[in-house]
Amino acid sequence: MSPALLAGASAEAKEKAAKTAAGPVKLTGLNPKGVAPPVQLVPMAPRLSSLDGKTIFLVSDGFPGADHFLDQVGNWFKKNMPSVTTVYRLKAGAFADDDPKLNAEIKSKGNAVIMAIGH
Amino acid sequence: MVTIAFKDLAKSNAASRGMPLERICFTPHPVWGKTDAEMYAYLEGNDPVSGKPLMKEVTDALTQPLTADEQKTGTVNISMGPATYTDTAENLQQYYLDNGMTDFMQIVIPTEEKLAEMLKGTSHKPDEVVGKMAPARGSYPEWTFNVRQVAINAVMAGARPEYLPTILAIAETGLTSLSSSTNSFATAAVINGPIRDKLNMNYGIGAMGPFAQPNAAIGRAWTMLSRNLSNSGIPGQTYLGTLGNGVNYNNLILPENEKDSPWTPLHVQKGFKAEENVVSVFVGFSISQGQGGIGLGVKPVPQYHEAIAYNCIPFGPLFGALIVCDPLVAQGLVELGYKTKEQLADWLQKNSLISAKNARSTLFANRWVPDPKTPDDAMIPYYQRADAYNFVVIGGQTNPYHMVANMSYRVSISIDKWA
Repeated sequence: MSPALLAGASAEAKEKAAKTAAGPVKLTGLNPKGVAPPVQLVPMAPRLSSLDGKTIFLVSDGFPGADHFLDQVGNWFKKNMPSVTTVYRLKAGAFADDDPKLNAEIKSKGNAVIMAIGH
Repeated sequence: MVTIAFKDLAKSNAASRGMPLERICFTPHPVWGKTDAEMYAYLEGNDPVSGKPLMKEVTDALTQPLTADEQKTGTVNISMGPATYTDTAENLQQYYLDNGMTDFMQIVIPTEEKLAEMLKGTSHKPDEVVGKMAPARGSYPEWTFNVRQVAINAVMAGARPEYLPTILAIAETGLTSLSSSTNSFATAAVINGPIRDKLNMNYGIGAMGPFAQPNAAIGRAWTMLSRNLSNSGIPGQTYLGTLGNGVNYNNLILPENEKDSPWTPLHVQKGFKAEENVVSVFVGFSISQGQGGIGLGVKPVPQYHEAIAYNCIPFGPLFGALIVCDPLVAQGLVELGYKTKEQLADWLQKNSLISAKNARSTLFANRWVPDPKTPDDAMIPYYQRADAYNFVVIGGQTNPYHMVANMSYRVSISIDKWA
Protein backbone atom coordinates (compact mmCIF):
# COMPACT_ATOMS: atom_id res chain seq x y z
CA MET A 1 0.00 0.00 0.00
CA SER A 2 1.33 3.45 -0.87
CA PRO A 3 2.13 6.01 1.87
CA ALA A 4 -0.36 8.37 0.28
CA LEU A 5 -3.15 5.82 0.69
CA LEU A 6 -2.16 5.25 4.33
CA ALA A 7 -2.21 9.00 4.97
CA GLY A 8 -5.66 9.16 3.42
CA ALA A 9 -6.92 6.36 5.65
CA SER A 10 -5.63 8.16 8.70
CA ALA A 11 -7.32 11.44 7.71
CA GLU A 12 -10.59 9.60 7.11
CA ALA A 13 -10.42 8.04 10.60
CA LYS A 14 -9.82 11.46 12.19
CA GLU A 15 -12.79 12.96 10.29
CA LYS A 16 -15.02 10.09 11.41
CA ALA A 17 -14.00 10.57 15.04
CA ALA A 18 -14.69 14.31 14.85
CA LYS A 19 -18.15 13.70 13.39
CA THR A 20 -19.03 11.20 16.11
CA ALA A 21 -18.11 13.75 18.76
CA ALA A 22 -20.16 16.59 17.27
CA GLY A 23 -23.07 14.58 15.81
CA PRO A 24 -23.75 14.26 12.11
CA VAL A 25 -23.26 17.42 10.10
CA LYS A 26 -26.40 18.56 8.33
CA LEU A 27 -26.61 20.53 5.11
CA THR A 28 -29.43 22.44 3.52
CA GLY A 29 -29.83 21.65 -0.17
CA LEU A 30 -31.80 23.78 -2.62
CA ASN A 31 -34.72 22.74 -4.78
CA PRO A 32 -33.41 22.51 -8.37
CA LYS A 33 -36.77 22.54 -10.12
CA GLY A 34 -38.22 25.05 -12.56
CA VAL A 35 -41.80 26.27 -12.46
CA ALA A 36 -44.67 24.35 -14.05
CA PRO A 37 -47.47 26.46 -15.47
CA PRO A 38 -50.80 26.34 -13.63
CA VAL A 39 -53.34 23.91 -15.04
CA GLN A 40 -56.66 25.30 -16.28
CA LEU A 41 -59.28 22.62 -15.69
CA VAL A 42 -61.36 21.89 -18.79
CA PRO A 43 -64.86 20.50 -18.23
CA MET A 44 -65.53 17.42 -20.33
CA ALA A 45 -68.18 17.48 -23.06
CA PRO A 46 -71.66 16.29 -22.02
CA ARG A 47 -72.19 12.61 -22.74
CA LEU A 48 -74.80 11.14 -25.07
CA SER A 49 -77.80 9.32 -23.61
CA SER A 50 -77.43 6.62 -26.25
CA LEU A 51 -75.35 5.88 -29.34
CA ASP A 52 -78.35 4.74 -31.39
CA GLY A 53 -78.37 6.47 -34.78
CA LYS A 54 -75.39 8.61 -33.87
CA THR A 55 -72.27 9.47 -35.91
CA ILE A 56 -68.91 8.77 -34.30
CA PHE A 57 -65.72 10.18 -35.78
CA LEU A 58 -62.73 7.83 -35.52
CA VAL A 59 -59.61 9.99 -35.49
CA SER A 60 -56.03 8.84 -35.98
CA ASP A 61 -53.14 11.03 -34.81
CA GLY A 62 -50.96 9.54 -37.53
CA PHE A 63 -48.94 6.94 -35.68
CA PRO A 64 -48.33 3.80 -37.77
CA GLY A 65 -51.11 1.23 -37.48
CA ALA A 66 -53.71 3.59 -36.02
CA ASP A 67 -55.57 3.76 -39.36
CA HIS A 68 -55.96 -0.02 -39.60
CA PHE A 69 -56.87 -0.25 -35.94
CA LEU A 70 -59.67 2.30 -36.40
CA ASP A 71 -60.90 0.33 -39.45
CA GLN A 72 -61.48 -2.51 -37.02
CA VAL A 73 -63.24 -0.23 -34.54
CA GLY A 74 -65.53 0.75 -37.42
CA ASN A 75 -66.12 -2.92 -38.20
CA TRP A 76 -66.94 -3.59 -34.54
CA PHE A 77 -69.67 -0.93 -34.61
CA LYS A 78 -71.08 -2.28 -37.90
CA LYS A 79 -71.35 -5.72 -36.38
CA ASN A 80 -72.44 -4.85 -32.84
CA MET A 81 -74.18 -1.48 -33.11
CA PRO A 82 -75.26 -1.19 -36.75
CA SER A 83 -77.27 1.99 -36.20
CA VAL A 84 -74.01 3.85 -35.48
CA THR A 85 -72.29 5.58 -38.40
CA THR A 86 -68.51 5.83 -38.17
CA VAL A 87 -66.36 8.31 -40.10
CA TYR A 88 -62.57 7.90 -40.26
CA ARG A 89 -60.30 10.95 -40.30
CA LEU A 90 -56.53 11.47 -40.07
CA LYS A 91 -55.74 14.47 -37.89
CA ALA A 92 -53.53 17.00 -39.66
CA GLY A 93 -50.08 17.95 -38.39
CA ALA A 94 -47.78 16.25 -35.92
CA PHE A 95 -49.35 14.06 -33.26
CA ALA A 96 -49.67 16.83 -30.69
CA ASP A 97 -50.83 19.55 -33.08
CA ASP A 98 -54.34 20.91 -32.97
CA ASP A 99 -56.51 20.49 -36.10
CA PRO A 100 -59.18 23.23 -35.91
CA LYS A 101 -60.66 22.32 -39.32
CA LEU A 102 -61.27 18.73 -38.24
CA ASN A 103 -62.61 19.84 -34.86
CA ALA A 104 -65.12 22.08 -36.64
CA GLU A 105 -66.19 19.23 -38.93
CA ILE A 106 -66.71 16.91 -35.96
CA LYS A 107 -68.74 19.54 -34.12
CA SER A 108 -71.02 20.15 -37.10
CA LYS A 109 -71.43 16.61 -38.40
CA GLY A 110 -70.63 14.27 -35.51
CA ASN A 111 -72.06 13.32 -32.14
CA ALA A 112 -68.94 11.80 -30.59
CA VAL A 113 -65.28 11.13 -31.28
CA ILE A 114 -62.94 8.25 -30.51
CA MET A 115 -59.29 9.12 -30.89
CA ALA A 116 -56.61 6.46 -31.32
CA ILE A 117 -53.20 7.17 -29.80
CA GLY A 118 -50.32 4.75 -30.00
CA HIS A 119 -48.80 2.46 -32.56
CA MET B 1 -58.19 4.70 -27.08
CA VAL B 2 -54.52 4.40 -26.16
CA THR B 3 -52.13 1.47 -26.47
CA ILE B 4 -50.98 0.38 -23.02
CA ALA B 5 -47.35 1.37 -23.64
CA PHE B 6 -48.49 4.98 -23.31
CA LYS B 7 -50.67 4.55 -20.21
CA ASP B 8 -48.77 6.88 -17.88
CA LEU B 9 -48.04 9.32 -20.67
CA ALA B 10 -51.70 9.58 -21.65
CA LYS B 11 -52.96 10.03 -18.11
CA SER B 12 -50.32 12.57 -17.07
CA ASN B 13 -50.67 14.50 -20.31
CA ALA B 14 -54.44 14.67 -19.99
CA ALA B 15 -54.04 15.94 -16.44
CA SER B 16 -51.50 18.60 -17.39
CA ARG B 17 -53.88 19.81 -20.13
CA GLY B 18 -56.75 20.20 -17.69
CA MET B 19 -58.61 16.89 -17.93
CA PRO B 20 -57.27 14.72 -15.09
CA LEU B 21 -60.27 12.40 -15.40
CA GLU B 22 -60.38 12.12 -19.17
CA ARG B 23 -62.02 8.82 -20.10
CA ILE B 24 -59.18 6.79 -21.59
CA CYS B 25 -59.56 3.15 -22.60
CA PHE B 26 -56.49 1.02 -23.21
CA THR B 27 -55.65 -1.62 -25.79
CA PRO B 28 -52.73 -4.02 -25.82
CA HIS B 29 -49.57 -2.70 -27.50
CA PRO B 30 -48.62 -2.61 -30.32
CA VAL B 31 -51.26 -2.27 -33.01
CA TRP B 32 -48.60 -1.58 -35.62
CA GLY B 33 -47.80 -4.74 -37.61
CA LYS B 34 -50.81 -6.67 -36.30
CA THR B 35 -53.30 -8.32 -38.64
CA ASP B 36 -56.90 -7.12 -38.88
CA ALA B 37 -57.98 -10.26 -37.02
CA GLU B 38 -55.50 -9.62 -34.22
CA MET B 39 -56.66 -6.04 -33.84
CA TYR B 40 -60.30 -7.09 -33.84
CA ALA B 41 -59.46 -9.59 -31.13
CA TYR B 42 -58.09 -6.70 -29.06
CA LEU B 43 -61.52 -5.05 -29.33
CA GLU B 44 -63.33 -8.18 -28.23
CA GLY B 45 -60.98 -8.63 -25.30
CA ASN B 46 -60.50 -6.70 -22.08
CA ASP B 47 -58.92 -3.35 -21.39
CA PRO B 48 -55.53 -4.46 -19.97
CA VAL B 49 -55.64 -1.71 -17.33
CA SER B 50 -59.18 -2.08 -15.96
CA GLY B 51 -59.66 -5.74 -16.89
CA LYS B 52 -63.15 -4.90 -18.20
CA PRO B 53 -64.49 -5.63 -21.72
CA LEU B 54 -62.84 -2.99 -23.89
CA MET B 55 -65.66 -1.92 -26.21
CA LYS B 56 -68.17 -1.86 -23.34
CA GLU B 57 -65.80 0.58 -21.68
CA VAL B 58 -65.59 2.65 -24.85
CA THR B 59 -69.35 2.89 -25.31
CA ASP B 60 -69.83 3.60 -21.59
CA ALA B 61 -67.22 6.37 -21.80
CA LEU B 62 -69.36 8.02 -24.46
CA THR B 63 -72.71 7.58 -22.71
CA GLN B 64 -72.29 7.49 -18.92
CA PRO B 65 -73.22 10.89 -17.39
CA LEU B 66 -70.37 13.08 -16.24
CA THR B 67 -69.51 13.18 -12.55
CA ALA B 68 -69.17 16.49 -10.70
CA ASP B 69 -65.36 16.16 -10.76
CA GLU B 70 -65.37 15.68 -14.52
CA GLN B 71 -67.17 19.00 -14.93
CA LYS B 72 -64.88 21.03 -12.69
CA THR B 73 -63.36 24.28 -13.91
CA GLY B 74 -60.79 26.59 -12.37
CA THR B 75 -57.05 26.84 -11.98
CA VAL B 76 -54.78 24.36 -10.21
CA ASN B 77 -51.30 25.50 -9.22
CA ILE B 78 -48.64 22.81 -9.38
CA SER B 79 -46.45 22.38 -6.30
CA MET B 80 -42.75 22.19 -7.08
CA GLY B 81 -41.95 20.86 -3.58
CA PRO B 82 -40.20 22.54 -0.66
CA ALA B 83 -37.62 25.25 -1.36
CA THR B 84 -34.95 23.46 0.67
CA TYR B 85 -34.18 20.07 2.18
CA THR B 86 -32.05 19.66 5.32
CA ASP B 87 -30.29 16.45 6.23
CA THR B 88 -26.88 14.78 6.30
CA ALA B 89 -24.92 14.82 3.04
CA GLU B 90 -25.47 11.10 2.64
CA ASN B 91 -29.23 11.37 3.15
CA LEU B 92 -29.45 14.36 0.85
CA GLN B 93 -27.71 12.41 -1.92
CA GLN B 94 -30.36 9.75 -1.50
CA TYR B 95 -33.15 12.31 -1.35
CA TYR B 96 -32.18 13.97 -4.62
CA LEU B 97 -31.77 10.56 -6.24
CA ASP B 98 -35.05 9.11 -4.93
CA ASN B 99 -36.97 12.17 -6.09
CA GLY B 100 -35.74 11.95 -9.66
CA MET B 101 -33.56 15.05 -9.55
CA THR B 102 -30.27 13.43 -10.62
CA ASP B 103 -28.76 11.32 -13.38
CA PHE B 104 -28.47 8.50 -10.82
CA MET B 105 -24.89 9.38 -10.03
CA GLN B 106 -23.60 11.34 -7.04
CA ILE B 107 -24.17 15.07 -7.27
CA VAL B 108 -22.66 18.13 -5.62
CA ILE B 109 -25.23 19.12 -3.00
CA PRO B 110 -26.49 22.57 -4.06
CA THR B 111 -26.22 24.66 -0.88
CA GLU B 112 -26.74 28.43 -0.72
CA GLU B 113 -22.97 28.86 -0.40
CA LYS B 114 -22.23 26.86 -3.54
CA LEU B 115 -25.03 28.61 -5.39
CA ALA B 116 -23.62 32.04 -4.42
CA GLU B 117 -20.22 30.98 -5.74
CA MET B 118 -21.76 29.68 -8.98
CA LEU B 119 -23.71 32.90 -9.53
CA LYS B 120 -20.40 34.81 -9.63
CA GLY B 121 -20.05 33.30 -13.11
CA THR B 122 -22.70 35.62 -14.58
CA SER B 123 -23.60 39.29 -14.28
CA HIS B 124 -27.28 38.48 -14.68
CA LYS B 125 -29.70 38.67 -11.76
CA PRO B 126 -30.73 35.36 -10.19
CA ASP B 127 -34.41 35.95 -10.85
CA GLU B 128 -33.99 36.78 -14.55
CA VAL B 129 -36.02 34.37 -16.67
CA VAL B 130 -33.78 32.32 -18.95
CA GLY B 131 -36.39 30.45 -20.97
CA LYS B 132 -38.85 27.60 -21.24
CA MET B 133 -38.40 23.90 -21.88
CA ALA B 134 -40.58 20.80 -22.29
CA PRO B 135 -39.86 17.08 -22.78
CA ALA B 136 -41.13 17.61 -26.35
CA ARG B 137 -42.17 21.03 -27.54
CA GLY B 138 -45.91 21.23 -28.13
CA SER B 139 -46.63 17.88 -26.51
CA TYR B 140 -46.12 18.81 -22.85
CA PRO B 141 -46.51 22.00 -20.82
CA GLU B 142 -43.38 24.13 -20.91
CA TRP B 143 -41.76 24.86 -17.57
CA THR B 144 -40.17 28.26 -16.98
CA PHE B 145 -36.82 28.76 -15.26
CA ASN B 146 -34.52 31.55 -14.15
CA VAL B 147 -30.78 32.10 -13.73
CA ARG B 148 -30.84 30.88 -10.14
CA GLN B 149 -32.48 27.58 -11.05
CA VAL B 150 -30.04 26.95 -13.89
CA ALA B 151 -27.17 27.73 -11.53
CA ILE B 152 -28.45 25.24 -8.93
CA ASN B 153 -28.38 22.53 -11.59
CA ALA B 154 -24.91 23.62 -12.68
CA VAL B 155 -23.70 23.16 -9.09
CA MET B 156 -25.24 19.68 -8.96
CA ALA B 157 -23.45 18.70 -12.18
CA GLY B 158 -20.05 19.68 -10.78
CA ALA B 159 -19.61 22.79 -12.93
CA ARG B 160 -17.33 25.70 -12.07
CA PRO B 161 -18.67 29.28 -12.05
CA GLU B 162 -16.86 30.14 -15.28
CA TYR B 163 -18.88 27.45 -17.08
CA LEU B 164 -22.19 29.07 -16.12
CA PRO B 165 -22.60 31.38 -19.17
CA THR B 166 -22.24 28.38 -21.49
CA ILE B 167 -24.74 26.39 -19.44
CA LEU B 168 -27.16 29.35 -19.42
CA ALA B 169 -26.86 29.59 -23.22
CA ILE B 170 -27.64 25.88 -23.55
CA ALA B 171 -30.63 26.32 -21.23
CA GLU B 172 -31.83 29.29 -23.28
CA THR B 173 -32.05 27.07 -26.39
CA GLY B 174 -35.07 25.42 -24.72
CA LEU B 175 -33.92 22.08 -26.13
CA THR B 176 -34.17 19.23 -23.63
CA SER B 177 -31.43 16.63 -23.73
CA LEU B 178 -33.99 14.02 -22.67
CA SER B 179 -36.51 14.06 -25.50
CA SER B 180 -39.69 12.18 -24.68
CA SER B 181 -39.65 10.36 -28.04
CA THR B 182 -39.76 6.58 -28.24
CA ASN B 183 -36.68 6.91 -30.49
CA SER B 184 -34.17 7.49 -27.65
CA PHE B 185 -32.77 10.66 -29.18
CA ALA B 186 -29.44 12.28 -28.37
CA THR B 187 -28.34 15.92 -28.37
CA ALA B 188 -25.12 17.72 -29.23
CA ALA B 189 -23.76 21.16 -28.36
CA VAL B 190 -21.04 22.65 -30.55
CA ILE B 191 -19.01 25.29 -28.73
CA ASN B 192 -17.19 27.94 -30.73
CA GLY B 193 -15.10 30.99 -29.90
CA PRO B 194 -12.24 31.91 -27.55
CA ILE B 195 -14.13 30.59 -24.52
CA ARG B 196 -13.02 27.08 -25.49
CA ASP B 197 -9.46 28.00 -24.50
CA LYS B 198 -10.50 30.21 -21.59
CA LEU B 199 -12.31 27.24 -20.02
CA ASN B 200 -9.59 24.75 -21.06
CA MET B 201 -12.08 22.72 -23.03
CA ASN B 202 -10.65 19.67 -24.74
CA TYR B 203 -10.97 19.77 -28.52
CA GLY B 204 -7.88 17.62 -29.12
CA ILE B 205 -7.19 13.98 -28.30
CA GLY B 206 -10.30 12.27 -26.97
CA ALA B 207 -12.38 15.45 -27.26
CA MET B 208 -15.69 13.60 -27.06
CA GLY B 209 -14.53 11.41 -24.16
CA PRO B 210 -14.36 11.95 -20.39
CA PHE B 211 -11.05 13.80 -20.36
CA ALA B 212 -11.77 17.40 -19.38
CA GLN B 213 -13.84 18.97 -16.63
CA PRO B 214 -15.60 21.66 -18.72
CA ASN B 215 -16.63 19.20 -21.42
CA ALA B 216 -17.87 16.75 -18.80
CA ALA B 217 -19.61 19.16 -16.43
CA ILE B 218 -21.25 21.34 -19.09
CA GLY B 219 -22.62 18.23 -20.78
CA ARG B 220 -23.85 16.76 -17.51
CA ALA B 221 -25.46 20.07 -16.54
CA TRP B 222 -27.54 19.94 -19.74
CA THR B 223 -29.09 16.65 -18.68
CA MET B 224 -29.47 17.76 -15.06
CA LEU B 225 -31.30 20.94 -16.04
CA SER B 226 -33.41 19.09 -18.61
CA ARG B 227 -34.55 16.79 -15.84
CA ASN B 228 -35.26 19.48 -13.27
CA LEU B 229 -36.27 22.51 -15.30
CA SER B 230 -38.59 20.84 -17.81
CA ASN B 231 -39.80 17.63 -16.14
CA SER B 232 -38.06 15.59 -18.86
CA GLY B 233 -36.82 12.08 -18.19
CA ILE B 234 -39.58 10.34 -16.23
CA PRO B 235 -39.78 6.87 -17.84
CA GLY B 236 -43.30 6.11 -19.01
CA GLN B 237 -44.52 9.68 -18.55
CA THR B 238 -42.13 12.15 -20.08
CA TYR B 239 -39.52 9.73 -21.45
CA LEU B 240 -40.56 6.92 -23.81
CA GLY B 241 -37.25 6.02 -25.49
CA THR B 242 -37.54 2.27 -25.78
CA LEU B 243 -33.81 1.50 -25.71
CA GLY B 244 -32.48 4.61 -24.00
CA ASN B 245 -29.24 6.31 -24.98
CA GLY B 246 -25.96 6.44 -23.06
CA VAL B 247 -25.12 9.74 -24.73
CA ASN B 248 -27.81 11.32 -22.54
CA TYR B 249 -25.51 11.14 -19.49
CA ASN B 250 -23.52 14.15 -20.63
CA ASN B 251 -24.44 14.57 -24.31
CA LEU B 252 -22.11 15.26 -27.21
CA ILE B 253 -20.11 18.32 -26.25
CA LEU B 254 -18.17 19.42 -29.32
CA PRO B 255 -15.78 22.35 -28.86
CA GLU B 256 -14.62 22.88 -32.43
CA ASN B 257 -10.88 22.60 -33.06
CA GLU B 258 -10.78 25.94 -34.83
CA LYS B 259 -7.00 26.32 -34.88
CA ASP B 260 -6.40 23.07 -36.75
CA SER B 261 -9.44 23.26 -39.01
CA PRO B 262 -9.00 24.48 -42.59
CA TRP B 263 -12.66 25.48 -42.70
CA THR B 264 -14.87 28.26 -41.36
CA PRO B 265 -16.04 27.51 -37.81
CA LEU B 266 -19.66 26.52 -37.37
CA HIS B 267 -20.71 29.68 -35.51
CA VAL B 268 -19.39 31.89 -38.32
CA GLN B 269 -21.42 29.82 -40.78
CA LYS B 270 -24.45 30.61 -38.63
CA GLY B 271 -23.86 34.36 -38.78
CA PHE B 272 -21.72 35.11 -35.73
CA LYS B 273 -18.29 36.75 -35.67
CA ALA B 274 -15.23 34.56 -35.15
CA GLU B 275 -14.39 36.25 -31.84
CA GLU B 276 -17.87 35.63 -30.42
CA ASN B 277 -18.56 32.72 -28.09
CA VAL B 278 -21.50 30.65 -29.24
CA VAL B 279 -23.22 27.35 -28.52
CA SER B 280 -25.08 25.60 -31.37
CA VAL B 281 -27.36 22.69 -30.52
CA PHE B 282 -28.35 19.62 -32.50
CA VAL B 283 -30.87 16.84 -31.88
CA GLY B 284 -31.55 13.49 -33.50
CA PHE B 285 -30.42 9.92 -33.46
CA SER B 286 -27.06 9.06 -31.96
CA ILE B 287 -23.57 9.19 -33.41
CA SER B 288 -21.70 6.31 -35.03
CA GLN B 289 -18.14 5.70 -36.22
CA GLY B 290 -17.32 5.91 -39.89
CA GLN B 291 -14.41 3.55 -40.42
CA GLY B 292 -16.36 1.10 -42.57
CA GLY B 293 -16.91 3.70 -45.26
CA ILE B 294 -16.00 2.98 -48.86
CA GLY B 295 -13.11 5.00 -50.26
CA LEU B 296 -11.07 5.16 -47.08
CA GLY B 297 -8.49 2.71 -48.44
CA VAL B 298 -7.84 4.71 -51.62
CA LYS B 299 -4.28 6.09 -51.94
CA PRO B 300 -2.70 8.58 -51.81
CA VAL B 301 -5.71 10.56 -50.51
CA PRO B 302 -8.61 8.60 -49.06
CA GLN B 303 -11.94 9.49 -50.65
CA TYR B 304 -13.42 10.91 -47.46
CA HIS B 305 -16.44 12.44 -49.22
CA GLU B 306 -17.43 9.00 -50.54
CA ALA B 307 -16.98 7.48 -47.08
CA ILE B 308 -19.14 10.15 -45.46
CA ALA B 309 -21.90 9.61 -48.03
CA TYR B 310 -21.68 5.84 -47.51
CA ASN B 311 -21.85 6.14 -43.74
CA CYS B 312 -24.98 8.30 -43.98
CA ILE B 313 -26.90 5.64 -45.96
CA PRO B 314 -28.84 4.43 -42.87
CA PHE B 315 -30.03 7.97 -42.16
CA GLY B 316 -33.69 8.91 -42.46
CA PRO B 317 -35.17 12.28 -43.38
CA LEU B 318 -36.47 13.10 -39.90
CA PHE B 319 -33.12 14.71 -39.11
CA GLY B 320 -30.18 16.07 -41.05
CA ALA B 321 -26.54 15.01 -40.93
CA LEU B 322 -23.94 16.21 -38.44
CA ILE B 323 -20.48 15.10 -39.57
CA VAL B 324 -17.70 15.20 -36.99
CA CYS B 325 -14.23 15.19 -38.60
CA ASP B 326 -10.74 15.01 -37.19
CA PRO B 327 -8.62 17.88 -38.59
CA LEU B 328 -6.72 15.33 -40.69
CA VAL B 329 -9.96 14.40 -42.46
CA ALA B 330 -10.87 18.05 -43.03
CA GLN B 331 -7.41 18.73 -44.47
CA GLY B 332 -7.76 15.65 -46.73
CA LEU B 333 -11.12 16.92 -47.96
CA VAL B 334 -9.54 20.28 -48.81
CA GLU B 335 -6.93 18.38 -50.86
CA LEU B 336 -9.80 16.66 -52.65
CA GLY B 337 -11.17 20.05 -53.65
CA TYR B 338 -13.67 20.77 -50.89
CA LYS B 339 -12.26 24.12 -49.84
CA THR B 340 -15.32 24.93 -47.75
CA LYS B 341 -17.88 23.05 -45.71
CA GLU B 342 -20.54 24.39 -48.08
CA GLN B 343 -18.85 22.80 -51.12
CA LEU B 344 -18.79 19.45 -49.37
CA ALA B 345 -22.44 19.84 -48.32
CA ASP B 346 -23.40 20.60 -51.93
CA TRP B 347 -21.65 17.46 -53.20
CA LEU B 348 -23.26 15.30 -50.53
CA GLN B 349 -26.74 16.72 -51.21
CA LYS B 350 -26.43 16.04 -54.95
CA ASN B 351 -24.85 12.60 -54.64
CA SER B 352 -26.58 11.03 -51.64
CA LEU B 353 -29.62 9.47 -53.30
CA ILE B 354 -32.11 6.70 -52.63
CA SER B 355 -34.37 5.05 -55.20
CA ALA B 356 -38.08 5.75 -54.88
CA LYS B 357 -38.61 1.98 -54.59
CA ASN B 358 -36.27 1.71 -51.61
CA ALA B 359 -37.59 4.92 -50.07
CA ARG B 360 -41.14 3.55 -50.26
CA SER B 361 -40.07 0.52 -48.24
CA THR B 362 -38.80 2.66 -45.34
CA LEU B 363 -40.71 4.22 -42.45
CA PHE B 364 -40.37 7.57 -44.22
CA ALA B 365 -42.12 6.74 -47.50
CA ASN B 366 -44.51 9.70 -47.34
CA ARG B 367 -41.77 12.17 -46.60
CA TRP B 368 -39.37 10.96 -49.27
CA VAL B 369 -41.90 10.09 -51.98
CA PRO B 370 -45.11 12.03 -51.34
CA ASP B 371 -46.25 11.72 -54.98
CA PRO B 372 -47.62 8.23 -55.74
CA LYS B 373 -46.89 8.83 -59.45
CA THR B 374 -43.12 8.97 -58.85
CA PRO B 375 -41.62 5.99 -60.71
CA ASP B 376 -39.82 3.35 -58.65
CA ASP B 377 -36.50 3.96 -60.38
CA ALA B 378 -36.49 7.71 -59.69
CA MET B 379 -33.57 8.73 -57.49
CA ILE B 380 -34.53 10.88 -54.49
CA PRO B 381 -32.05 13.07 -52.59
CA TYR B 382 -31.74 12.15 -48.91
CA TYR B 383 -32.16 15.83 -48.16
CA GLN B 384 -33.73 18.55 -50.29
CA ARG B 385 -31.31 21.20 -49.04
CA ALA B 386 -27.53 21.18 -48.74
CA ASP B 387 -27.69 22.93 -45.38
CA ALA B 388 -29.10 19.72 -43.90
CA TYR B 389 -25.40 18.74 -43.75
CA ASN B 390 -23.35 20.33 -40.98
CA PHE B 391 -19.69 19.74 -40.17
CA VAL B 392 -17.64 20.14 -37.02
CA VAL B 393 -13.87 19.68 -36.89
CA ILE B 394 -12.70 18.17 -33.61
CA GLY B 395 -10.01 15.79 -32.45
CA GLY B 396 -6.31 15.30 -31.83
CA GLN B 397 -5.00 14.18 -35.25
CA THR B 398 -3.86 10.77 -34.02
CA ASN B 399 -5.80 9.19 -36.92
CA PRO B 400 -7.87 10.53 -39.83
CA TYR B 401 -11.25 9.47 -38.47
CA HIS B 402 -14.74 10.83 -38.75
CA MET B 403 -18.12 10.07 -37.19
CA VAL B 404 -21.62 10.67 -38.51
CA ALA B 405 -24.77 11.59 -36.61
CA ASN B 406 -28.33 11.66 -37.98
CA MET B 407 -28.94 14.96 -36.19
CA SER B 408 -30.42 18.32 -37.15
CA TYR B 409 -29.21 21.79 -36.34
CA ARG B 410 -31.64 23.69 -34.13
CA VAL B 411 -30.30 27.06 -32.98
CA SER B 412 -27.17 29.00 -32.03
CA ILE B 413 -27.11 31.14 -28.87
CA SER B 414 -24.54 33.68 -27.74
CA ILE B 415 -22.59 32.64 -24.66
CA ASP B 416 -21.26 36.18 -24.23
CA LYS B 417 -24.69 37.58 -23.46
CA TRP B 418 -24.79 35.40 -20.34
CA ALA B 419 -21.34 36.43 -19.04
